[in-house]
Amino acid sequence: MEMFLRLPFSLRVPLVTVVLMVMVGIFASQQVLRAIGKVQDDRIRELAQLQIEALSIALGPHVLRKDVWEIYDTLDRATLTDKRRLVFTAVADRNGSILAATDPKRAPVGSRIQDIAVNSQTLENLSVSGSEPHIRILADLTYQNRLVGQILTEMNVTDLLFERLQAAWILVLGNVVVTGGLALLGYLGIRRMLMPITILVERMRESATAPEPIPDHDLPKGDTEMSRLVRSYNAMAGAVEAKAEADRRLAERERFVSLGRLSSSLAHEINNPLGGLLNAADTIQEYADRPEVVRKSADLLTRGLGHLRDVARATLDQNRIDHSGAALSREDFEDLHLLIGPENLRHSQTLDWDIDADNKTLTQFVAVPIRQIALNLLLNATEAAGKAGHIKLKLKCQGSALRLTIANSGPELSKSARERLLGSGPVPPGGGVGLRLVRDLIQELGGSVEAHHIAGMTEIDVIFPMHAINTVAKC
Amino acid sequence: MVSRRSFISAAGAAFGVASFRAEAMEPFRLGLTPVFLDNDAVVVDQLQSAFAASLGVPVELEQRRTYEEITGLLLEGSIDAAWLCGFPYLQHQNELSLMAVPVWNGQPLYQSYLIAASDDEATDLEDFRGGVHAFSDPDSNSGYLVTASDLAQIGESPEKFFKRTIFTFGHRNVVRAVAAGLVRSGSVDGYVWEALIKTEPELTRRTRVVKQSEWLGFPPFCMRTDRANEPEIVAMAETLLSLNTTELGRSALKLLQLDSMVAVETSLYDGIAERMRTYYSFR
Repeated sequence: MEMFLRLPFSLRVPLVTVVLMVMVGIFASQQVLRAIGKVQDDRIRELAQLQIEALSIALGPHVLRKDVWEIYDTLDRATLTDKRRLVFTAVADRNGSILAATDPKRAPVGSRIQDIAVNSQTLENLSVSGSEPHIRILADLTYQNRLVGQILTEMNVTDLLFERLQAAWILVLGNVVVTGGLALLGYLGIRRMLMPITILVERMRESATAPEPIPDHDLPKGDTEMSRLVRSYNAMAGAVEAKAEADRRLAERERFVSLGRLSSSLAHEINNPLGGLLNAADTIQEYADRPEVVRKSADLLTRGLGHLRDVARATLDQNRIDHSGAALSREDFEDLHLLIGPENLRHSQTLDWDIDADNKTLTQFVAVPIRQIALNLLLNATEAAGKAGHIKLKLKCQGSALRLTIANSGPELSKSARERLLGSGPVPPGGGVGLRLVRDLIQELGGSVEAHHIAGMTEIDVIFPMHAINTVAKC
Repeated sequence: MVSRRSFISAAGAAFGVASFRAEAMEPFRLGLTPVFLDNDAVVVDQLQSAFAASLGVPVELEQRRTYEEITGLLLEGSIDAAWLCGFPYLQHQNELSLMAVPVWNGQPLYQSYLIAASDDEATDLEDFRGGVHAFSDPDSNSGYLVTASDLAQIGESPEKFFKRTIFTFGHRNVVRAVAAGLVRSGSVDGYVWEALIKTEPELTRRTRVVKQSEWLGFPPFCMRTDRANEPEIVAMAETLLSLNTTELGRSALKLLQLDSMVAVETSLYDGIAERMRTYYSFR
């Protein structure tokens, strides 16, 4: 079966046709042979009937008188007239004692007819079956409507068997020739009908990248299923080609978009700490005589510049698709606190800062993307909270994850902001790229983000799974 | 054996053959029995032609199945003469007279043969005890009386000695029955069996003679004694006795494998008469 299924379709269909035709041929042959057998049975039955009736008429009086010689003489003469068909005949009296037979040595006078009537048939159930060249018929011998004896006739049916065998051979040979011829025609016809599919398969196999349409001159004629199939294929090939073209254009456009986004991100990331650095520089200039303030501002400057270096490195890493980096620490959040402090002061905002995680835990996470995420969200929160607003940052270990919550007292996130932060569709026109960058970074870390507006506070919850660095560690 | 000349002259003196031929054109009816090779139509035709040519009148050959029927026809006058057997002749010796007797192999004698299949190892009648036996006719000397009288001599009857007996009503049929194996043994006319060697050797080859009887009087042509002097009877007797003198007659005799016909005395059949006495004494 598996081997059959491996055969080409154009070979399988004719083969199935051949098998069906052979089955039909066998069935038809059986019917013909059965009909021949019935005709032969009728014929031999008629012959036997005539023979027995004729012998009954001729032998009746002799059997009645048990005249052995006359019975023998009559049988002998009857056999001479049809020696080819009648092989042997024996006549017995009512008691089954043989009176005479055409071959007296085989059936001696006085012997029992039953002894030689083995495998004999009756006239009613006479059948020429099997391969026996002779059939035996045992029948009653009546004379003047009186049972006077029995007659056993052995008839030669070799010619009938030969006739049947000949018919069988003719049927077999005829069926083989006709079936073979029709199967060949069927094969060629079906192969021709399936030619479009063959061409289709070859086209599809040849065109590994994109299907090529079948030329018009190879299209099947008329409005058949095959022609519709090939036209559909051509339409599909056209659509695939159009889509590939559209993909190519989209990819090109995407590159430009990515480039724009990268530029925008860089500008954004550099611009954010610049405010803090300038403030630090102003402080140094203003309090140059106070060494502790200068030192603190210099430290801030150092860390701010370090952050800029990290941003540049992160950008490089991003483009190298290298997600490794320095481990997160409480200092990173202190830097963020210092960076965002001046912005809060400028807007007269209050800030709740709650870092509920130790360094041991935090070192399991990458610093750069989380700092970027936190900084972006804090800057957005500062803007959203507005004048005299309230901002909260909470970092907490939750099982094997790190939870960062940044809330502000500003209005609920706009639809476009939600799209950027939570959605996966294209970035809607207008607005910055900070929130989408946050989302992309969270996704890269395998984390998740949610936004809620509860009790006048807009909360953004970010969950970072531990496996970012070490899946074994626990909070 | 009386001389043919004296036999014919006596008849001719009384009526004259010429006057019969001139006055009567009624057909002469001659009866034939199975002693004769009745299966051969050519022989019958040849014989009929020879008789007709010699007599000058048409001859009707009457054939019946049994001796009894032919004898009956002769006795009642339905036929003018008949080729009978010595046994029925002697049975009706008071009513019948001899016309002529065929000469076979130089003498008017023949034998009865007891035959069996060629592969049968029997050497005597006794070996056939309990078998199926074929007789020719119950009124036949060679085909019944000889065997029956042989059995009578040992105190047996055919019905008891044999398991079964059949009558074929023809000597040739006895040979057929034995050759085919229908019966184990048969009683047959020796002349017929010998004649068949030449005409149907395939048939006789399948049989063999187990026992031959003594020489007995050949089956004679008979007439009713009370009609012995009638011209047509006398003419027929003359025809029979002179059959070997005509071309047609010799041809017919040749087909019958006979030499000629002769007039004989009743004493020729003494042997048969003796067997009759044996047979009847036992029964």
